[in-house]
Amino acid sequence: MDKAFIQRRRRDLVVAACLAAIAAAVPMFVKDVYVQNIMVLTLLYGALSQSWNILSGYCGQISLGHALYFGLGAYTTAILFTKFGVLPWFGMLSGGVLSAIIAMALGYPCFRLGGHYFVIATIVIAEITLLLFHNWDWAGAALGIDIPVRRDSWVTFQFTRSKLPYFYFALGLACVAWFVTWWLEDSKWGYWWRAVKDNPVAAESLGVDVFNSKMGAAAVSAFLVAIGGSFYAQFVSYIDPESVMGFQFSLLMALPAVLGGIGTLWGPLLGAVILIPLTELTRSFIGGSGRGIDLIVYGGLIIAISLARPQGLVSLFSRKPKPAANPVREAVAS
Amino acid sequence: MTALLETRNITQRFSGLTANSDVSISVGRGEIVGLIGPNGAGKSTLFNLIAGAFKPTEGSIIFNGEDVTALPAAERCQRGIGRTFQVVKSFESMTVIENVIVGALVRTTVMREARRKAQEVLDFCGLGGRADVLASDLVPSEKRRLEVARALATEPKLLLLDEVLTGLTPVESQKGVELVRRVRDTGITVLMVEHVMEIVMPLVDRAIVLDLGKVLIEGKPTDVVRDPKVISAYLGDRHAVGA
Repeated sequence: MDKAFIQRRRRDLVVAACLAAIAAAVPMFVKDVYVQNIMVLTLLYGALSQSWNILSGYCGQISLGHALYFGLGAYTTAILFTKFGVLPWFGMLSGGVLSAIIAMALGYPCFRLGGHYFVIATIVIAEITLLLFHNWDWAGAALGIDIPVRRDSWVTFQFTRSKLPYFYFALGLACVAWFVTWWLEDSKWGYWWRAVKDNPVAAESLGVDVFNSKMGAAAVSAFLVAIGGSFYAQFVSYIDPESVMGFQFSLLMALPAVLGGIGTLWGPLLGAVILIPLTELTRSFIGGSGRGIDLIVYGGLIIAISLARPQGLVSLFSRKPKPAANPVREAVAS
Repeated sequence: MTALLETRNITQRFSGLTANSDVSISVGRGEIVGLIGPNGAGKSTLFNLIAGAFKPTEGSIIFNGEDVTALPAAERCQRGIGRTFQVVKSFESMTVIENVIVGALVRTTVMREARRKAQEVLDFCGLGGRADVLASDLVPSEKRRLEVARALATEPKLLLLDEVLTGLTPVESQKGVELVRRVRDTGITVLMVEHVMEIVMPLVDRAIVLDLGKVLIEGKPTDVVRDPKVISAYLGDRHAVGA
């Protein structure tokens, strides 16, 4: 029994390594900057969704306020760089740690809420923070922060002439987010999270520390999302509250995971690979009419996919054998 | 030797309703004790209090020489109290073995060890062949076994079984009875709530009868079933007259 399980884990790892290698080679053939831009965004949202999936997919605490951590990451990096000259790399780390701490501080009261009330709380908190940043003069208020352009360099993590460094960073981030999920999946935390999602009362009776497993999931999830936010700030080199903390980010983190398969290892990446190019392409090809046809098409496609595959697209690749013959069930069926 | 579990003057009120009043019972090491009584007698309440689902209004619970009244369920599990639920609560999106691994992780954080332990417990409970099936695909009697397996994986000193034998076919419940005996043979003390008397009585060493939230009588199963008080509690006074 052990063998099949270990084989599956290994196969996931090998497939991931192959995909990463292929992805790394793609820019050699694709020189178009527009397409490269889409690839960066796809990897970024893949990584964000993977991180969101840890708290909301595995642990079952649906958050629609992860834009908060994305924005915190972006703002921390930008403020530290523009006001104190701190390099983005440290800004990134600080943003991650800050977000993890804030996620736990918010989790302390919010994880006592059940079901829909938790979701509402996450939305409200993210919106309140958005308003605070809108009115916080020191942090640029509604005008936002312009990140001054210096020489292209990995030290300041700025590249004006090429998208490729951003691409490789985004690829690295997606790999890290995937690997963290892979690693946690077969750890005490992974099992605890899934138990908490399925049935907290039963989990508790089996010695699971329900509250702290939610806190742990929130911290890991927020940390990784904030790294993504920091990266985004460097990538676009200008941030304002709406462009890094708006509600759409919360949705764009949740959608790929939901579409690809919530609470699965591959779902978020698969979802992002389909969803993000779709977003960009519908926008650029039919978005110019000014009538929002792109959004109608986009929304329609999402509905179509979710109707066709309610468990997520990952179920298309499911290797799970049909449930072993069950005598009782067959007797009932015949 | 001191008792493994003792409840001292447990009283539990739910707003106006008194579910348990002044209940003091004790369970010795290695015993199989049946907690029986008609519907609404307060069995499940007492059971949940022992497992730590909530705290009693009054009284205390001593487990293995330690007052555990204030401890939450998860910590009682670490101390060695395992339980099943009357309405099964499997982790439906997880496979059978993954369900059991959650329990095994109380004693070890090494995944390989937890997995080995889980498989061992599944074999013991007769679910070894169903390890990789989703819990949601099990039939009801298998789900009951899974509840027991999960609890056993936490290596309890005391196993609380909440109506695991109720609603099974005669063959299934016979298998269940054998399982409970084998559990006890491994040195685990069992406290079981049941209300099907015919199944429980041959199995338990001692029966405690609850009625209207109070201990009505306790003793050897053969004596308990003949007691007029028990018969009247179950069937009404008219039937107790002749006994």
